[in-house]
Amino acid sequence: MKFQDYYQTLGVAREASQDEIKQAYRKLARKHHPDLNKEADAEARFKEIGEAYEVLKDPEKRAAYDAVGSRYAQGGGGAEQDFRPPPGWDAGFEFHGRGDDDGFDARDYSEFFESLFGRAARAGAAGGSARRGATNLRGEDHHAKVLIDLEDAYTGARRSIQLRMPVFDDEGRGVLQERTLDVTIPKGIRQGQHLRLTGQGGPGLGNGPAGDLFLEIEFNTHRMYRVDARDVYVDLPLAPWEAALGASVAVPTPDGEVELTIPAGSAAGRKLRLKGKGIPAKSAGEPAGDLYVVLAIVLPPAGSDASRRAYESLKSAAGSDFNPRAQLQRGRA
Amino acid sequence: MSSPTTTTIVTSLEVIDDTMELTLVELCQAVRAPQEQVRVWVFEGVLTPRGETPEEWRFAGTALRRARLARTLMQELEINAPGVALALDLMDEIEALKASLRRSGAR
Repeated sequence: MKFQDYYQTLGVAREASQDEIKQAYRKLARKHHPDLNKEADAEARFKEIGEAYEVLKDPEKRAAYDAVGSRYAQGGGGAEQDFRPPPGWDAGFEFHGRGDDDGFDARDYSEFFESLFGRAARAGAAGGSARRGATNLRGEDHHAKVLIDLEDAYTGARRSIQLRMPVFDDEGRGVLQERTLDVTIPKGIRQGQHLRLTGQGGPGLGNGPAGDLFLEIEFNTHRMYRVDARDVYVDLPLAPWEAALGASVAVPTPDGEVELTIPAGSAAGRKLRLKGKGIPAKSAGEPAGDLYVVLAIVLPPAGSDASRRAYESLKSAAGSDFNPRAQLQRGRA
Repeated sequence: MSSPTTTTIVTSLEVIDDTMELTLVELCQAVRAPQEQVRVWVFEGVLTPRGETPEEWRFAGTALRRARLARTLMQELEINAPGVALALDLMDEIEALKASLRRSGAR
C-alpha cells in the first residue's frame, strides 16, 4: 500500500491553517470537478482531492494522520516504501464517522484511506443508525450511472449492473453487500434520462419500505454519430460529382443502412433530414427523433495528368462568372 | 467481513423523462435533499416547477438531474444557492453551445 501525502495532494504546507486547507481544496475541487471538467482524469484527481480534504479538514483525523505520517517518515519511508498502519496507531483518537449520509454514493477511497479511517468510520455510522431504527423509515434512494451505446437506444438493451451497498446484518452491523441487477433498458431512452427502479434502493428501517434506485443513462461517444436530445447527426462525405449531379448513396444509420437520394446541386453543409430515423419514441403518441445527414464534399486529388485535365476543363466550363468568393467581395464594397 | 452476493432481475422500471412529473416529496427523496433546500432552489430559480404552492409543485423529470447537480455542487464545492443557480445557468449555456457545435460537425 502506498503512503498518501495528503498535504502534497492539496498543495499546502504541513503547518497550513484550516482556512488555508479549505481554500486550497475549494480551488482544486472547482478545477477538477467532474461535472465541470470533462478531462478524462478529472474524476480520479477529484477523488484524490476529496479524500485528502476529508482527512485534513477534520482536526481529529488530521492529528491522527500527522501522527502516522511522522512515524512513517522516521522509519525512512519514501514513496516506494510499503506502508502498513502501525499496530494500535489509532489509540487515543476518536472518530465521529464520516459526516456523510451517503454510504452508497460515497466516493471510492484509496486503500490507504480505508486502512486508516474507512471501515471503522463506516461501521460506526451504520451501527449508529441501526440502533436508532426503532421507528419505521423509508430506505434511501440510491443513484448510479449506466453507459450504453446509441444503438441500444434504438433496440432496447439488457444490462447487468453490479452494485455495492451497505446493508445491516442480523446483529445490526453494517456490511457491504454485492448485488447484481439485471435491467432491461427500454428503447427510446435518451442521454441524461433516469430509470427509476422501485424498491431497489437502500433497505427501509423497521417496517419502512425500501428506497428506489435511479439509474442515469449516458451514451458512449460514437465514432460516427452525434446525438442532440432525440436527434442524431451523421456526416456523409460525397464526391463533387455526386453533390453536383445527384446520386443515390448508402448511408449508415443506427437502425441499419438506408439508401439516400442526394438531390442534384447539393452544397457542402447541407442537411438532409430522415424523419423519424433518430432515437425512436418510447411509446405511441410521442415523437421519434430525426436523423440528419450532413453533406461534406471530398475533392479527388489532382495528382495525375488526367485528373488535372479534368479540373482544367471544369474551370473553363464554369467560366469567369463562377466566383467562389462572391460573398467576401460583396462585403468589401 | 462477509459480503453476500445476490442477483435480482428487475421487472418494475420507470423512465423519468419530461413527460412525467415529480412531487416535492419525491424529488427530495430522489435527491436526498431536505424540503427546505428544494424551496430555496425554487426561490433562486434553480428549479422551476409547475404549480403555485409547494404542495402543488410538480417538477419535470429533467429537474432530477439538475437538482442532483445542485446538491453535488453545494456539498462538494461549498457553493451557496445563488452561486449554484449561476453555475447551472452557465452549464446550460455551455451545453447549448456544445449541442450547436455537434450539429455543425464537432464531436
